Amino acid sequence: MLSEFSAIKGSSPGYWKLVALCALLFLVGVGSFFAIESYGHGITGMNNQVVWGMPHVFAISLLVMASGALNLGSMSTVFASIQFKQFTRFSAFLSIVLLIGGLTVLLLDLGRPDRMLLPMLYMNFRSMFTWNVFLYSGFFVLCLLYLWSMFDYKQFTKVVGSAAFAWRVILTTGTGSIFGVIHARDVFFSAITGPMFVAVSLTSGTALSTILLVGTYRKTGRYMEEKLVFGLRNALIFFTLLVGYMFVVEKFTKFYSPAFYEVETWLLVGPWAWLYWLGVWGCCVIFPLVILFHGRLGNTVQGVVAASVVTVVGVFAFVAHVLLAGQSYPFDMFPGYQLSSVFLDGASAHYVPSLVELGMGIGGIGLSALLFLLGIRFFRMLPAKAVAPEGWELPWSP
Amino acid sequence: MSSRRSLAVRMSVGLLLAMLLVLVGGFPGNLGADPPQPEKPKGGQCVRPAEWMRHNHMDFLKHNRTVAVREGKRVRSESLQKCAECHTSRERFCDRCHDYVAVEPDCFDCHIYPK
Amino acid sequence: MTMDRRSVLGLGGVLAAGVILAPGLRLIAAPEDVTEASDKRRWGMLIDTTQCNPACTACTQACRTENNVPLTGDPERDIHWIRKVELHSKDGGKPDRSLPVLCNHCEHPPCVHVCPTQASFIRKDGIVLVDMHRCIGCRYCMIACPYKARSLVYSTPSIPGTPNRKVPMRAKGVVEKCTFCVHRIDDGGQPACVEACQKEAKGGMLFGDLNDPQSEISQRLRQVLSTTIRPDLGLKPRVHYQGI
Ligand code: HEC
Ligand code: HEC
Ligand code: HEC
Repeated sequence: MLSEFSAIKGSSPGYWKLVALCALLFLVGVGSFFAIESYGHGITGMNNQVVWGMPHVFAISLLVMASGALNLGSMSTVFASIQFKQFTRFSAFLSIVLLIGGLTVLLLDLGRPDRMLLPMLYMNFRSMFTWNVFLYSGFFVLCLLYLWSMFDYKQFTKVVGSAAFAWRVILTTGTGSIFGVIHARDVFFSAITGPMFVAVSLTSGTALSTILLVGTYRKTGRYMEEKLVFGLRNALIFFTLLVGYMFVVEKFTKFYSPAFYEVETWLLVGPWAWLYWLGVWGCCVIFPLVILFHGRLGNTVQGVVAASVVTVVGVFAFVAHVLLAGQSYPFDMFPGYQLSSVFLDGASAHYVPSLVELGMGIGGIGLSALLFLLGIRFFRMLPAKAVAPEGWELPWSP
Repeated sequence: MSSRRSLAVRMSVGLLLAMLLVLVGGFPGNLGADPPQPEKPKGGQCVRPAEWMRHNHMDFLKHNRTVAVREGKRVRSESLQKCAECHTSRERFCDRCHDYVAVEPDCFDCHIYPK
Repeated sequence: MTMDRRSVLGLGGVLAAGVILAPGLRLIAAPEDVTEASDKRRWGMLIDTTQCNPACTACTQACRTENNVPLTGDPERDIHWIRKVELHSKDGGKPDRSLPVLCNHCEHPPCVHVCPTQASFIRKDGIVLVDMHRCIGCRYCMIACPYKARSLVYSTPSIPGTPNRKVPMRAKGVVEKCTFCVHRIDDGGQPACVEACQKEAKGGMLFGDLNDPQSEISQRLRQVLSTTIRPDLGLKPRVHYQGI
């Protein structure tokens, strides 16, 4: 039923051009890193109010998608969606490369990257960062084992795959909790911040997998049955609705309490409102749903890919909004007073990303993409022909 | 059969040659250079015997700083500032050795020590 | 090895000066050569905002010279260990205030909770410090602190004039903040800002041991109405404000 796995040929000039492009992006990242390393973070747009900027937006988005990329694998291994079984290798592999890209950016943005191994030496178990160190390395190992078992030890796939699934839920909750546990920041502090990250990882991971699968099969001239893409579409619709639900619950709870009127109003109409409405609501929820539910667009591969692209843009917007709006909102240190100072107390912070920061983020994407391209060329990651299993029918179409 | 063996022989010879190259090429500066001559200190005795200091001053300093910064126990006669009272120049004392062994402690990015 | 030597040395300091302990190792140890932070103490501050004049920057100036904190001229990236904040009552019901804000040296400091390397830590006497030798510059502490007490060093600092040799500078890429002038406290002194306030201004800043019921600060805290910044966060800050 399922066709043989095979590596892509990867001998066309087009392939090598793509590899060269990704390598170039990665080099741009490396260059930006050295620039920041030698001049200090002064050449970035970050400042003493917005201390996490573009590198973190890119890194965390990649990490969220890394967890999400495991979706296809989990849907097949844990939830017995047989139509995705042929993509489990691809899924675990994509998780690994995204993880590497994201973590690299995160580590290289440190103020003192020369000391990057110190967290291993002196662990503070109360820090969400330390937890994330374990969660990411554990996830990395589990994905590798999962991949390995699929190649050589099929009898372990179920166990390892299930463990990896449980792990990635905890992992992304941990990523979200980096922000969710910070009581000082009204925008971050919420029990639902972690779950929101999990939901967004579900959509963006599925969306990215869709783009890459369709792209790879098209470009290599292999056959992929359209039904499979529509299966992914249905999953994406479900996850997107989940994201919308989370967003509504969060806003509803916050707006119920007068204590949050000020900050929530600021979010909806303040300096970052454009990102909130266009990026968070638009790209994460509304635009994809409109396309996917559309009777004509939703039933074309192009439509599904377009919605996926919007969703991937959405994850960047979501992370950027949490980070930048969260850090820009001024602290209300003395309630009842309007504050002002030379340290810009009482004013919304100002942040304009600089090119080196973008370079670093793009370098991370370049690294992930480069590893992906090389991986599918040298390993048997994808079936030579992707067809829906016999007897499997689409349950629903718009 | 013999072609295999000769390949192994050639590879080991090549490896040996490469190692030799690395050895010679790696320390071209130091092979001919004189051992470092750190400036003679002013004042009496070092905080520990000089011979011991020569080998252990880095651990001594790092241990001291943990005790001083994190545990709040200050031994003023052994602080980094005190070193400067006898070893009056960073360039002519500390760096003479450090350049020789090619270590670059970053301490003086922050710690103010007479040049 | 060094530990043994060290304890011997402490003893030497107590016994007498200039004892020969080992061949080639002579110690000239004055009694105050070795001091240790005490876990019996809890340093804290009381700031009387009614004494604070908006035009006065004695405390912030003193801090900059004492701790080698440069002003770069870029307001978004300047480093502030202590800053003056102007308070303007929103409904006009309360008088406007001007007051200094610095690290609050909380009992439950969120910066310490989130620090992945334990570079931020609580010293035995309650002072919250950054171990500059361990800070990796991840800035999570800056995200977690509700007082904006911390600053990242964005570029290699340069001090106009001669720096204070007693306090190391900081290099780019680490996070720094108020230390309550630990080096002065360990020498039996007071933070530079408090001293400047008493010498050059009306003396609205009071520093002392909160654990000692007889200390002036403890007595004043019992007498006057005071508050801390954001008590709702449960951090138990040790910088108290009077008059707001
Ligand atoms: C009272 C003066 C004095 C102080 C203070 C002092 N030293 Fe020394 N130091 C000496 C003398 C004298 C020597 C022996 C030089 C020799 O034998 O050539 C010495 C030797 C050394 C050596 C070995 C140099 C060599 O030529 O092999 C090192 C390393 C050293 N000191 C480091 C330090 C450090 C680090 C500190 C601060 C913690 C310090 N010293 C404080 C006087 C001092
Ligand atoms: C006798 C030569 C000598 C002198 C003088 C000397 N050092 Fe060193 N130092 C060394 C050597 C050799 C090493 C490298 C040890 C190693 O690589 O393990 C070193 C390493 C160090 C390190 C650790 C560097 C690292 O990367 O971990 C520090 C810190 C240090 N020295 C401080 C000082 C200071 C401060 C002085 C001046 C007061 C000084 N040294 C003077 C020989 C010397
Ligand atoms: C990023 C800045 C920075 C760097 C780099 C740095 N230090 Fe420090 N160091 C400090 C600060 C700040 C203190 C605290 C001073 C205090 O509390 O009085 C300190 C304290 C110390 C102390 C205890 C106080 C004293 O004077 O004895 C020692 C010892 C010390 N450092 C050694 C080192 C050594 C050795 C290195 C290099 C391997 C180093 N430091 C690198 C900033 C730095």
